[in-house]
Amino acid sequence: MADPNEGRSDPPRSRARFVALYVVMALVFSGLGARLFQLQVVEGAQYAARASAARTVEIPIRSPRGLLFDREGRPLAVNIPSWTLYARPADLPARPSDRSRVLLRTADMAGLPVSTLEARLRAFSGSPFDLVPLARGISREAALLIGERADELVGISVDVEAVRQYLNEQGEADGALLSHVLGYTGPVSRDEYAELAAEGYLRDDSIGRDGVEASYEESLRGTYGEQLWERDASGRPVKVIETLAEPVAGRNLVLSIDARMQRVATDSLLWGLGVAGVAQGVTMVMNPQTGEILAMVSLPAYDNNKFAGGISQEDYAAYLEDPTLPLRNHAIADIYPPGSTFKLVTGIAALEDGVTTASQRWPTYGCYQIPDAPTGQCLFDWNHAGFGPLNMVQAYAKSSDTFFYQMAINVGLDRLGFWAGQLGFGERSGVQLPGESAGIVISRQWAQSQGRPDVFTGELAQAGIGQNVIAVTPLQLLNAYSALANGGRLMRPMIVRGEADATGTLLRAYAPEILRTLPVAEQNLQTMRIGARQVITTGHAYNIRDLRLPGALSGKTGTAEFGTPAADGSLPFHSWFVAWVPSVPGATDADLAIVTFSYAATVRGNVSLEVVKYFLQQWYKLDQDIRLDPRDFSLVAAN
Amino acid sequence: MATTVTGATFVDTLRGQRWRAFDRQLLLYVLLLVVFGAAMGFSADYTVESTPGALSQTVKTLIWAAIGLTLFFVAASIDYHWLQMLAAPIYLAVLGLLALTMLVGTNLFGAQMSITVAGLDFQFSEVSKVLMIVVLASFLAARGERIGRLSTIVGAGLLMAIPALLVFRQPDLGTALVFVAILVGMLFIAGASIGWLAILSGIVVAMAPLAIGALQDYQRQRLFCFLDPQTDPQGACYQLIQALNAVGSGGWFGQGLTAGRQNQLGYLPVQSTDFIFTVVAEELGFVGGIMLLGIFALLVWRVLAIGWSARDRLGMMVAGGLASLLVFQVMVNIGMVTGVMPVTGVPLPFVTYGGSSMISLLFGMGILQSVRMHAWKPTF
Repeated sequence: MADPNEGRSDPPRSRARFVALYVVMALVFSGLGARLFQLQVVEGAQYAARASAARTVEIPIRSPRGLLFDREGRPLAVNIPSWTLYARPADLPARPSDRSRVLLRTADMAGLPVSTLEARLRAFSGSPFDLVPLARGISREAALLIGERADELVGISVDVEAVRQYLNEQGEADGALLSHVLGYTGPVSRDEYAELAAEGYLRDDSIGRDGVEASYEESLRGTYGEQLWERDASGRPVKVIETLAEPVAGRNLVLSIDARMQRVATDSLLWGLGVAGVAQGVTMVMNPQTGEILAMVSLPAYDNNKFAGGISQEDYAAYLEDPTLPLRNHAIADIYPPGSTFKLVTGIAALEDGVTTASQRWPTYGCYQIPDAPTGQCLFDWNHAGFGPLNMVQAYAKSSDTFFYQMAINVGLDRLGFWAGQLGFGERSGVQLPGESAGIVISRQWAQSQGRPDVFTGELAQAGIGQNVIAVTPLQLLNAYSALANGGRLMRPMIVRGEADATGTLLRAYAPEILRTLPVAEQNLQTMRIGARQVITTGHAYNIRDLRLPGALSGKTGTAEFGTPAADGSLPFHSWFVAWVPSVPGATDADLAIVTFSYAATVRGNVSLEVVKYFLQQWYKLDQDIRLDPRDFSLVAAN
Repeated sequence: MATTVTGATFVDTLRGQRWRAFDRQLLLYVLLLVVFGAAMGFSADYTVESTPGALSQTVKTLIWAAIGLTLFFVAASIDYHWLQMLAAPIYLAVLGLLALTMLVGTNLFGAQMSITVAGLDFQFSEVSKVLMIVVLASFLAARGERIGRLSTIVGAGLLMAIPALLVFRQPDLGTALVFVAILVGMLFIAGASIGWLAILSGIVVAMAPLAIGALQDYQRQRLFCFLDPQTDPQGACYQLIQALNAVGSGGWFGQGLTAGRQNQLGYLPVQSTDFIFTVVAEELGFVGGIMLLGIFALLVWRVLAIGWSARDRLGMMVAGGLASLLVFQVMVNIGMVTGVMPVTGVPLPFVTYGGSSMISLLFGMGILQSVRMHAWKPTF
């Protein structure tokens, strides 16, 4: 056996060097301990706060958008679930081949071309941890399928969110009935977001566009809440730490609109425009007592449900390129010459300013010689034979142009402008809808803008019959006649009656607002109302007097020439009819006033009058159909 | 290399007398660290969804610990003088394996640091640390009376330079630095000339800018984050900032095992490996961190004590190398996550998840145990 101590050398060993190594170790370890003490005990709270701030994220809680109801409580705008396909770029497979396989499978399940998804992904420029919406409004089936395959489709997710759906009077999805009144919601654009972010809007938020959705955006949107979430390192929220603010739901609104009346008005107008072979027109119904708009139809309409779900480029381009301007609310956004309906203003001005009394008769002419113009420069009456001497009521009923030329010239430019303004022309009515136009009223400033010191007398005379330098919105005209009908109160037109609960029951009604009480003597208003009644009974309104209405229909027709003359020298024209239904002639108790405007409805008869007739027949459920075909005055029912 | 033949054999050891010298404290501290590491690995792994069928980190750690402890006892049983005979082949094997790693290594965090055999990643840079301690110890033991000469330092330096360059090229800056620390520590304990050591160290330090220039961009950026983490908070310094937040969040007593928010929510991207100490600090707090440091201090104290009592320079050198490795790696690793040292990939011995490190360190400790058990002349 070998000696175990063989080879033992007992080398020299330096105690100092061992001690030195111990010292090094002691210094290193106590240094680390001191650093730990500094980080954890001295500055611990600071780091903990910083860590939790870096780890948490404030996530907004969207508030449900307020619902819209009609005055009878019918839902008009509701929130429905919509499935959106998202990708989180950071979670998608890194290998290009895996990535395109995932996108291809997703596109296949969603029934979309993969190029669409790839394009959306490429167009996105935010953080790779953000969710990128790839497609909105995918089918529920596709959403469920993709949700089930989540583990295969790495980085793809599906989320449900609320989108708007617009309904008709039957409660069916129908974007066309009230598109201009309701408007729609759409995504906030990048430029808008820069401004809206301060108001709590989110990058992928939606905002009301057009109609009540836009004008009542603040009420409908409510207030978003906020939750503090802890997120993991890849940015995914993991758990709620606390709710910083509860969301406040948007207010539900009851519109002044009666959806059934809107339907009747729409059908009537569609019929009339169809017969005349034109596309554009307006029918509006108002309660003259309150200024509430009961129906507001602007044709052609658009489908706001297309917008709510995210409109395609093609559909949007088609709307924009349509020459009949379906996206414009012709009732408030466009201005047209009012024609003879404007004789209300000229008549009131003449009576109030003492140009004439109610009973004073004025000669009328086939062609009225313009004072201070060379002999032979005359303005025709629509009746080239003239009517003989007429007083105000007769002239209004027969719509004598030459009578009102004389009135306008005697009233003078300034006073005619004053009275037009009193009746709400040349200024916005203040209805709570976006895009309202102010209209044009003849004035010296207008003449000066044309490079002349003053208007021509002929222009003033033509303004007196609502031609030439007078342009109004259909709403302004209806509102002015409503003021006549209610005894002299110019109301601010209302589109929203008040706030409601979730079932559409009115909780808080908004008060009607009087814009001004007309400074017009009661007997002068009465003269004009009697004149308007005679329009129906003796004047220009054909057989509408035969309607067996529960009241004394009063109103005024108008035709307004515009544009360029045809080969025979005749001009195309718009037709107007505005009317209300008081209990007895001259009464101020009407609760229904209506205006119809037919754009370029250049046929022999007054298309608008027939539209209103058709509306009244249906709305009052009259057992009669006395519509005339405006092309040849034959009875429609007889055909 | 000198071939001092020893008479102590395995059979001799098995007779049992030598086991009376078995250093139970050494084993205890090592086991404490292993358990600590397994517990932290369990927590780091806690919320990570495991691949079905794969073993969890904790189970793997325990398997490696079992393998490592077997090697520990085998190494302890054998008289450590076999090292002298095998030093040359071991050295050649280290060079070969490191070169092989460079050629076929799998890519891990941008560095070729391991090769995969039968599903297990072997990080030869980790194994080579312990093996190089063995090689250097043999070399220094053989220097005998010439230990104080410059040629000792140059020779040892050249021996270490080749593997150090190989790992540096992987690129694995951390391991290269560990080699340098082991070299300096062992030369110092061996009794090399302090003057020459100081001069050569000065030259090496002066050449540091060159080495830094040879680094990859990402390494350089990470390296300098500790000076001011705000230079690139979302990029290169992101890990460090999250680590500091985690350490600071621990406070006195920590947030509790498996309850550290930074850890569980994945804010520490390599939390189970190089950044494991952040989990300790966040979940067990200052108290837990100090306890861990304390265990390391006790372990190093035992390692040096065994070295002091070694019966020859070979044993003393094994202890010196292991002590240098432990102190340097603890310093760099904990210093890194507490923001006082640059970020380099240096694991925390026994605690960081990784089989190669665990098994080779346990083997090294086994050799040390053998040094302890063979420190005295047995009397019959």
